[in-house]
Amino acid sequence: MSTQVHANLTDEQVRTISEDLDEPEWLLETRLDALAALEDLEMPSVIRTPGRDWTNLDALEYERIVDPLDRSQEKDRVEAEGVDVLSWSEALSEHGDLIEDRFGSVVDPQRDYLTALSTALFSAGTVIYVPEGVDAEDVKIRTRMHSQSLFNYTLVVAEESSSVTILERQTTGTDLEDKQYYSGIVEVDAAENAHVQYGALQNLSEETYNFSVKRGHADTYATVNWIEGNIGSRLTKTSVETRLIGDSSESKIVGAFFGHEDQHFDLASRVWHEGEHTVADLVTRGVLDDEARSVYEGVQDVGTEAWDTSSYQRENTLMLSDESEADASPKLIINNHDTEASHSATVGQVDAEDLFYMTSRGIGEKRATDLLVEGFFVPVMEEIAVDELREDLDELVVERLQR
Amino acid sequence: MSSEDLKDTDTEARFEFKKEEKSAFETEKGLTEETVRVISEDKDEPEWMLERRLRALEQFQQMPMPTDWPGQPDLSEVDVAEIVPYIRPDIETRGGAESWEDLPDEIKDTFDKLGIPEAEKNALSGVGAQYESEIVYQNMQERWEEKGVIFMDMDKAVREHPELVREHFMTKCVPPSDNKFAALHGAVWSGGSFVYVPEDTTVEMPIQAYFRMNSEGMGQFEHTLIIAEDNAEVHYIEGCSAPQYAEFNLHSGGVEVFVGENAHVQYSTVQNWSKNTYNLNTKRAIVEADGTMEWVSGSMGSKATMLYPATILKGPGATDNHITIAFAGDGQNIDTGAKVYHNAPNTSSTIESKSISKDGGRTNYRGLVHISDGAENSKTNVECDALMFDNESTSDTMPYMEIQESKVDVAHEATVGKIGDEDVFYLQSRGLDDDDAKQMIVAGFIEPITEELPIEYAVELNRLIELEMEGSLG
Repeated sequence: MSTQVHANLTDEQVRTISEDLDEPEWLLETRLDALAALEDLEMPSVIRTPGRDWTNLDALEYERIVDPLDRSQEKDRVEAEGVDVLSWSEALSEHGDLIEDRFGSVVDPQRDYLTALSTALFSAGTVIYVPEGVDAEDVKIRTRMHSQSLFNYTLVVAEESSSVTILERQTTGTDLEDKQYYSGIVEVDAAENAHVQYGALQNLSEETYNFSVKRGHADTYATVNWIEGNIGSRLTKTSVETRLIGDSSESKIVGAFFGHEDQHFDLASRVWHEGEHTVADLVTRGVLDDEARSVYEGVQDVGTEAWDTSSYQRENTLMLSDESEADASPKLIINNHDTEASHSATVGQVDAEDLFYMTSRGIGEKRATDLLVEGFFVPVMEEIAVDELREDLDELVVERLQR
Repeated sequence: MSSEDLKDTDTEARFEFKKEEKSAFETEKGLTEETVRVISEDKDEPEWMLERRLRALEQFQQMPMPTDWPGQPDLSEVDVAEIVPYIRPDIETRGGAESWEDLPDEIKDTFDKLGIPEAEKNALSGVGAQYESEIVYQNMQERWEEKGVIFMDMDKAVREHPELVREHFMTKCVPPSDNKFAALHGAVWSGGSFVYVPEDTTVEMPIQAYFRMNSEGMGQFEHTLIIAEDNAEVHYIEGCSAPQYAEFNLHSGGVEVFVGENAHVQYSTVQNWSKNTYNLNTKRAIVEADGTMEWVSGSMGSKATMLYPATILKGPGATDNHITIAFAGDGQNIDTGAKVYHNAPNTSSTIESKSISKDGGRTNYRGLVHISDGAENSKTNVECDALMFDNESTSDTMPYMEIQESKVDVAHEATVGKIGDEDVFYLQSRGLDDDDAKQMIVAGFIEPITEELPIEYAVELNRLIELEMEGSLG
């Protein structure tokens, strides 16, 4: 299984990528190790019940869609004052030691097959360094993918008592009329009392396969918040994760998705409570139309030493079509009794009474449904603390409704 | 029996005593085709049943052990080669004694201590008691028999009601291919209950069976088959226990329930296997149009339990209700939950799951709600609450929802919390000591379960919980 892409990947390709970025030896070694590890690594785990994997990652024809040396893209980086927002080659020359220290410290470069593939082949990406005490405005990164495949690696280092908001958008440029593969790894290291908000809006073409891992470590009093909007792609497999390592750290994971046609979203939100007095809130809402399918897993894991934990999770799916399918599995794993935790999940259709009320007031049925769908997203939109991202997401929702 | 009688019994003695083993017939340890043939021959079974057993054995041998579920109990100790699958007690009354008085003293004594026949003496409808692998006592009030209700041990039913059994036994409801332990069960099953309720018949009093494992290193594989025809109504209660032994025991029962159109079946269990028992059960019901299935389960004992009673809502308007409670103490892993398949329109289900863990015990809720394409206007509501006593314990909630139909109403909610300091303080300030206060809170927590059970079972459940909590609160 795991050798299918390995067959046409070579050390030479990896060395070429590394040379182009003017990398130090350690990073080349990390890449080559990841490449070598592909042989033994498994695909990322998907939700499974006995006899059934809910997302089939092996079905991807990696050999055909991964082209390691084709990496054409447009990247806009809008810096914020006091923050270094750097391409990889810039970052390696300016913050070499820091990167060597932090790279792979949050996301294990070999955590699974697709992550190791990203580690070996990434050529695009950004390093964001927020020095101690800096209170930054919004950093914006827009990636427009033109190539067959693109491997993006983002590292965020927020030093003590700093704060930053990062907005990332992924779109596809030239329509290749063919399958594409986008892979994004994001590591966030939030030091004591740092506050990092990371918003991502994925609107890739609907022939694109998308794999992403976003993971943050929160030190004492630190906050790592995630906003995850998924609109595009043919298949998305994404996991947004926070380890609440320090006492009194916090995380909020807000997710929104809207699937139509034959889109498949496999979404995970995970939080590990490790320190004391930690707080987490996971909120996800999604709409499915046509034959779209969503698989959601949310995990709240409370460790043995996580005293006085508060952990909440809500997931709601709205189904607009009979051909759509939704799977939800919110999980609680509790090893400390001094915990207040809850989760809830619902799946339902547009409320018939609401629809009747609106149509009886003279609103056409299509318009009424659209309004109810927009209304369904409101509780999630309210959780999105970044105006620009909220407005963009809202726009994409409205756009999709009009199609 | 009244709750007064129960109060006079030493709870500990009731559940922890064991008897000298005295068996007339015992198969060799381990599982071979020969063993299966010997069991079947000893039971004087028809050829078709032997064939089913052998086919199940083949399936068992081909299937791997379940190891791929996240957080599942460790089953590495379960070595079928070490299990004695079949023990027949040394009594004259094989196939069921006519009356309680006919039973040998030591067996009577065993059941007396458990308090079960007391319920019978107080004229409840029926009691069947299984000791090791065989039913030793069974009784049914005549007035039900006159209406055509059948309640007998499963072995006897194979001989006396072959058509009914042949059609329903491990065919549509729990085929041996369902899982490794269902296959094992199909090969070596022994004893259990057969209940048949004809059309338009209501059995007003609960039918009861009690299973007990007394020997060391044995497996118990009783099969229960309940057939409720259209418009029938019955409540079946089963209780299980086994004393503590050093070696492990395996319990792998099978329960199949057929709920006819507009019929109503309630199946209640209070399980208190000894803490060396692996309890790997398969229970399933098929419900026709407008029928109702209700599962009420209390899981107290066992070292590890993997049990997810399943209901297939096959006919439009069918209903399923699950109420489960799990209690895990030191060294226990209770992995239990519910499965519901909504395969027809206008079906509805509710799952209410409560768990308590303490002293390093682990409880898992693992559930599946499946709504098929076309099961429109289906509704399901799942609620899980976990109560944790201390920091050595673990409680996981793993629900899965597979929804293939848009016109549905699906909701899942779960909460976990510690026992409330304020509640304890309040009760203490009203004069209760710490232990009593906590016991009262637990009793309140599990009330939704106990109120579904007849009084003597509710009392027994409360007693078991008291026993579990004794001296362990601080």
